[in-house]
Amino acid sequence: MTEIIAEMLRVAIIAGVIFAGILAILIWVKDQTKKISYLRLFIQIAAVPVIFLGLIIGPFGLSQFPPVGNAPRDALVGTEILGASFPDGLSVPLLACYYPSGRTVTCPIWQIQTYIFPFWSTGLGFGWGVYYANTGLERLAIVFGLVIVMSIVLGRFFCGWICPFGLYMDLMIRLRKTFKKGYWKLSERVNIGLRQLRYVIIAAFLILSFVFGTQAIIGLQLVPGTQSGEYVYDYYSAPFCQICPMKPLSVLTESALGFMDPTSVFSQNTGLLSEAGYYVTSLNVSVLALVTIGALAFRRFWCRICPLGGLISIFNRFPPFKWVSGVRLNKIEEKCTKCGICKRVCPPQVTEVYEEKGGDVTSPACILCFRCVEMCPYEDCLEIRVAGKPIYNSRNWLEGLK
Amino acid sequence: MATKFEGNVKAIPEMPPKEIEEIRSSMESVSRKVIAENIERMKKTWPNRPKTMQYFDEISNFFGQRLEDIRAQKEAGKKIVAYSCMFAPIELILAAGAIPVRIDSGWYDAAKLGDKIVPVEVCPVIRSAIGTQMVNLSPYLELSDAVIIPLTCDGRTKLSEILRDDRTVWTMCPPRIKDSPESRKLWVEEVKAVKKKIEDLTGTEITGKRLRSAIELTQKATKAIRRLQEIRKGNPVIMGRDAMLVNQTSMWDDLKKWMQKTEELCDELENRIEQKNWACSPDTPRVMVTGTPMIWPDNWKIPNLIEESNPQGVIVVDELCSGDRLLYDPVGVDEWTMSDMIDAVADRYTLASTCPCFTSEHGNEDRINWLLDRIKEYRVDGVIYYVLRGCILYAMEYARIKRILDRMNVPIYYLDTEYTREDVGQMKTRVEAFLEMLETRVALKPVN
Repeated sequence: MTEIIAEMLRVAIIAGVIFAGILAILIWVKDQTKKISYLRLFIQIAAVPVIFLGLIIGPFGLSQFPPVGNAPRDALVGTEILGASFPDGLSVPLLACYYPSGRTVTCPIWQIQTYIFPFWSTGLGFGWGVYYANTGLERLAIVFGLVIVMSIVLGRFFCGWICPFGLYMDLMIRLRKTFKKGYWKLSERVNIGLRQLRYVIIAAFLILSFVFGTQAIIGLQLVPGTQSGEYVYDYYSAPFCQICPMKPLSVLTESALGFMDPTSVFSQNTGLLSEAGYYVTSLNVSVLALVTIGALAFRRFWCRICPLGGLISIFNRFPPFKWVSGVRLNKIEEKCTKCGICKRVCPPQVTEVYEEKGGDVTSPACILCFRCVEMCPYEDCLEIRVAGKPIYNSRNWLEGLK
Repeated sequence: MATKFEGNVKAIPEMPPKEIEEIRSSMESVSRKVIAENIERMKKTWPNRPKTMQYFDEISNFFGQRLEDIRAQKEAGKKIVAYSCMFAPIELILAAGAIPVRIDSGWYDAAKLGDKIVPVEVCPVIRSAIGTQMVNLSPYLELSDAVIIPLTCDGRTKLSEILRDDRTVWTMCPPRIKDSPESRKLWVEEVKAVKKKIEDLTGTEITGKRLRSAIELTQKATKAIRRLQEIRKGNPVIMGRDAMLVNQTSMWDDLKKWMQKTEELCDELENRIEQKNWACSPDTPRVMVTGTPMIWPDNWKIPNLIEESNPQGVIVVDELCSGDRLLYDPVGVDEWTMSDMIDAVADRYTLASTCPCFTSEHGNEDRINWLLDRIKEYRVDGVIYYVLRGCILYAMEYARIKRILDRMNVPIYYLDTEYTREDVGQMKTRVEAFLEMLETRVALKPVN
């Protein structure tokens, strides 16, 4: 009992610090051109412990992996919520990677790939060896349902304000800035190409997931060693995760911080593409290295290709989702002199805000970081609307100059 | 028959220095008189002018204190870089520690002189510039170490050739298509090229730090000019001519000082708003002027007529590159790196501009949006579309803008004129007729 009170106290303190930080930023950062950027950075940092809340809250009584704490998610193992069993945690469309310890929510990309495997049946799954009360199809429906709800409510606001990998990209920008180096720009054609490529990536890896899962589906093993219940199986069930740069980043960070046992992280070799281990594959690390270099050269490099962002875009940018979606970027044509600032300051190089005439200018590539609204020098030209109500307008930021 | 010519053949024929000096001094005295007269007329219309306006009156004198200042700074080793169009990136000039001075010419007599070199069909601003060059009338042009001429229109393109006969001229080639990636590339390269030239002239490297402080300076000037415009949105607390003069002095004044004085003026005006001390009756028809630049001192004809006529009008806003558009758009920098600052400077001069020398996939819709927004924001009763004969670009855009404003039920009046004092009477009749119509409209306007 005292333990739970202590936990709650700890959470309360953290929440208090976060709240105070937001207030302090709003009050003290007078420079109008930086206010929202600082607030965003702060919220991004604050979101990391929330996503990996298990690291702070500590064990709930279940003995699991070597880490210090267990995720609240782990408390769900074997339990049912509203008749649906969700041992892998609820999916939230942000890079709450499945692999590290202490995550609160799970990346839907992992869930979709994994649940597509045995979606035809209930029964003993894999990984935790948990009994699923629901068929894979039902689980997929729940995942997609959550993704759709989240995409409608917040959309890619997640990408700009909450996603830990987005924070990593932004930190790379800050690192580059300290060396006073400029950034490069992708040509518009390449940028749009990457934007479309992400859908190809999603499709390709879902197909791969099927191929690796053939043993479970038709009894024919196309790739050796992919039997149910083995690590290899678990590994191939989510092929995209084996190249995703977020997995090694969060696992390595947690190992470095002592939240995960490094020996356990590096001991589980599963062959083929995973020479370095189950948690951190050689492919993972090389992609992470490439993306890091990319992020140093181009702003928000990964966000242009991120399949998760693409998934959110699908359920946020096109009708009928578009009409009900929560956070939108709006432009009033008459106020716009087309000075091009919005286009230039945009981290993922979105051009729609500049090019489109007026009205709703939210683009599938827009991460809603509000940088354009912040930098637009014309009163009320750009505005962020939440449920149709303007909450943040562009203003004459020159008034803030001293 | 000679088939080859030797040496440099100048466009302007040689004149004896004595004759040049004679013409120059007579023109200068006329100009001094015109400046004083214009200020007198402004004072007469608005006897209760703010104290701060005195500063701008002084600065407006081309042959006064500011000239002495610049001369002294030049003797102290500073370079003077003149420019002839608002497309020249003054941030770069300021960053190199040089003094930017805009030398667009508003002298009527000089335009007459220019007629001898180029036909009268040529835009009078250009002819006047040629005239000032012939007799060394413009003191700032005389002091300049280099002249930046952005080749925005045909007139300026050929003007650059004529000025090049006697001076260092740096041309910049702005694209005609405003926002295509290719044109942007061209313009950024042009800005970089001119940066190099400025560095070579001044011997000062434009470092990131220097450029940043220059950009911050112009941003503050933007803040000041916007504050003045914000004040003009309400009931008239400043006459249009005075505001135009304030705007215009920024072209040759020291920006830091200009900014302080403008802020001071705004403080004074805000006080007056509290006291409801209007410059003229709040029922005065609110006029917007758009079109070719109106340049001090001689080409003050139309503003004088509008604000002195009976019934009176008040210019609340203009869309002139010698007026409210000056400094209005800020340089918006994302990261303070050299390349980003250069991009930001380049974008500020082309993308944000509403000059009709541009076109894009959507035509010059930026200008139309600008006008529509201003008409709404400043509660404009009528628009005067002012065109100097010879400016094809502004003249040709009239047709579309007229149709749009007609549809919005905003009266618009096309006023075409020349650099001459002879048509003042005729202009007066036309302006008065328009203002009378506006007055009736204002009187009939439903009160809400």
